[in-house]
Amino acid sequence: MSGVQLRPLLLQLERQSGSLREQVEAAVGAHGTPLRWAITAVQQRPEMPPLLQIEAVVLSDGTSEASDA
Amino acid sequence: MISTAPPLPTLLVIPTGIGCAVGGYAGDALPAARLLAAASGCLITHPNVMNGAALYWSDPRIHYVEGSSLDRFAAGELLLQPVRQQRVGLLLDAGIEPELRQRHLQVADGCRATLGLDIGPVVITDRPLEVSLSLGASGVSWGQLGQPEALLRAGRQLKAAGATAIAVVARFPDDSDSEALAAYRQGSGVDALAGAEAVISHLLSRELGLPCAHAPALSPLPLDPDLDPRAAGEELGFTFLPCVLVGLSRAPDLLPAATPPCGGGAGSPSLGIEAVGAVIAPAGALGGAAVLACAERGIPVIAVHNPCLLEVTAEALGLEVIAASSTSEAAGLVLALREGIAPAALRRPLPPLRRQD
Repeated sequence: MSGVQLRPLLLQLERQSGSLREQVEAAVGAHGTPLRWAITAVQQRPEMPPLLQIEAVVLSDGTSEASDA
Repeated sequence: MISTAPPLPTLLVIPTGIGCAVGGYAGDALPAARLLAAASGCLITHPNVMNGAALYWSDPRIHYVEGSSLDRFAAGELLLQPVRQQRVGLLLDAGIEPELRQRHLQVADGCRATLGLDIGPVVITDRPLEVSLSLGASGVSWGQLGQPEALLRAGRQLKAAGATAIAVVARFPDDSDSEALAAYRQGSGVDALAGAEAVISHLLSRELGLPCAHAPALSPLPLDPDLDPRAAGEELGFTFLPCVLVGLSRAPDLLPAATPPCGGGAGSPSLGIEAVGAVIAPAGALGGAAVLACAERGIPVIAVHNPCLLEVTAEALGLEVIAASSTSEAAGLVLALREGIAPAALRRPLPPLRRQD
């Protein structure tokens, strides 16, 4: 793990059917290795799937772009 | 009432740094944990619930498992193996001033002499860890670590030297004049340190596969005559370390889920998620990895009224839960599940059965 960094993230995810945990981990995992995450808000929308706000910290190799948070 | 039914392993999750009325301060969920341990006969919970700085409670029915390991346990990736005693290595941040460092070493010596804990060796990081604090968009406490590799190097050194669990003490920024700290001490704010603490212990536990927990090193605060009792545990001494050393001293080993069952050092079999009969969490904070993993496995989720910053409820997530108005009610529900009593039978009105079409 050379050059490892911790990156804060703020993501929004439209909920799909299936495992919610796997959806969140896939979304967070696209930015690095998930270290800590939580769904911190849920926005209900008429005629549309709920929009989830996710806050997270990921491990990255230090070459990724700046934080989304 | 003493239950004669077999224990019902139960998870208690009170997320760190979200300002929970119960569990958002200095180990102030410990009475709830003790009650739930008595009701279930086996409670698995995390340091945020159990750590009261100089105050702690050791109960063989309570398994002390760091948050990210708890998530992996809930996901079926880890087993918990009870042990008689861990050898707790002490990892100190090089950013701690010499006098404050000495205070921590004396606490560790006190725990050896007075409580009989096996502590050591001690390793100081090769550079300051550079902890910084931050709040997320929701107001939840997060935090950063400028030198994660220095933490990992010191952790590996301790593991190589025989430590089977690791207590980390990192120097946290003093903010004795901040409004957030004043609010916290008076019982109306978020624990600003909690998020960074979680990041540190998650990183170390994940990389080393050992039980880990963290205590912040801070300068003593000036006296606050309006101190909330829930924050008082952190004002009793020079360090927050005793609870961490006691918790880790009997924390279960973390085994990969593929490990064959064995009796273990404490003569107890290892514990897997399939044995868990309930998970308890604040009703507004159900969007964490452990709760979702349990819900997806069909483990009953008891959602307790425990006001916090978040409103990530069962309704918002489409989860089926058993609602409880308090920890006391949750303990009654756990006892009912342990005794094989359907919780619905305890509520009124009791709707009649309907034939399935």
